[in-house]
Amino acid sequence: MTAPAWRRLGDRAVRFARPPGVGARAIVRAARAWPGVVDVVVAMGDVAVYFDAPVATVDGARIAGLAQLGDDGEPAREVELRAVYDGADLDELSRELGVDVAAIHATGAYRVESMGFQPGFAYLVGLDARIAAPRLATPRARVPAGAIGIAGELTGVYPAESPGGWRLIGRVVDAPMLGDAGPRLELGDRVRFVR
Amino acid sequence: MVPRLRIVRALGLVTIQDLGRRGWMHAAVPPGGALVRGALRAANRLAGAAEGAAAIEVCGVLRVRADGGAVVVGTPAARVELRDGDELDVASGAATRATYLAVRGGVDAPVVMGSRGGRVVRAGEIVASGEAYGDGDRDRDRDRDRDRDRDRGAIRVVLGPDDDAFATTAVATLLQASYRIRPDSDRVGTRLAGSPLARIAGYVETPRPLVRGALEVPGDGLPIVLGPEHPTTGGYPVIAVVIDDDLDRLFAAPVTATIRFAVV
Repeated sequence: MTAPAWRRLGDRAVRFARPPGVGARAIVRAARAWPGVVDVVVAMGDVAVYFDAPVATVDGARIAGLAQLGDDGEPAREVELRAVYDGADLDELSRELGVDVAAIHATGAYRVESMGFQPGFAYLVGLDARIAAPRLATPRARVPAGAIGIAGELTGVYPAESPGGWRLIGRVVDAPMLGDAGPRLELGDRVRFVR
Repeated sequence: MVPRLRIVRALGLVTIQDLGRRGWMHAAVPPGGALVRGALRAANRLAGAAEGAAAIEVCGVLRVRADGGAVVVGTPAARVELRDGDELDVASGAATRATYLAVRGGVDAPVVMGSRGGRVVRAGEIVASGEAYGDGDRDRDRDRDRDRDRDRGAIRVVLGPDDDAFATTAVATLLQASYRIRPDSDRVGTRLAGSPLARIAGYVETPRPLVRGALEVPGDGLPIVLGPEHPTTGGYPVIAVVIDDDLDRLFAAPVTATIRFAVV
């Protein structure tokens, strides 16, 4: 077996390919137990591990070990987000795709596979292929906090007002996505939108 | 009564900052914290606060007044004892992009996700000191900060990890050209002006993990060095990453400075 490829990401982090079929939470939990690790980022296709001191090399066996992890040990949290479907792109998108985008989105079961982009932003997989849609050619300068968007086969909720290119179909109305205690969604969560 | 400072004037970006948070990047929350960490530590040491205590970061101009009693404060270079009603001006500019005003006991601010930092400071408000007292000078850290600041050489980087996104000439350009700090830089990214770094045609941008100090390169070829509020993932390829020890020098550099890079 060859050691998985990894690259240095500066003098205090390494980046490597995300092992397929392993839950994001399991990767974070395992990698945070490595000596000196302070942070882990799981993107859709890559993982980065951050250390509290300079590292020139990392034990390839540890990275290989991540691929042997099963799915998360503890059951995923079930999170319901109360949603109103009145997004700026909803009508146009429904016409373009010839389906009721809101109805299809609201019946979906989603899972947080990655977090990134802005504090508390969760990339949700599980979008019905019928409502997959490319990003806007020109991103909006301002997307409001709580906006629900679609980008390709992903969906997500903007935790804070920001620029953004996702197609906006609605908003989460019951609670902020990022509070003082931390983000509302975590890696591995199973998520439903409730109208 | 706890020592208090009245904010008389705050222009530019004036915020409360400490040394940031650890352990939140998996939730897409960046480390945050002071742009120039050594300068924050120095100001805290001189003020009689714990090294990592919260202080006021000034990217602009700040005027404070001691309000209701004497207050001991520190800048990165001096300790100042303000009597009740005394005013003090602190400004970034020709010497540094960010300076700090620390207060004895540290600035009192609520801890959010492990850090007291982030809040914008506005004229008219009161900043109170907390209970984070320093245990005197810590020579080792003081010397380390001083040695680092004295170094006027190239900013050292680790190359990669996205080498395959760039034309073969790009690394040579990065290491030979000189760059300047653009005035539209902020705590998210320090934008550089200079020779563009050519990307290969057809590079597919996918969000990948980022780190403070990464030189990410958008389509125009001009690198952005990620700062404390950087997104934890992003699609622009990273040609190199500034080593942690050299980040203060880069982030402190004023817009008039010339920046060169070298492989560590």
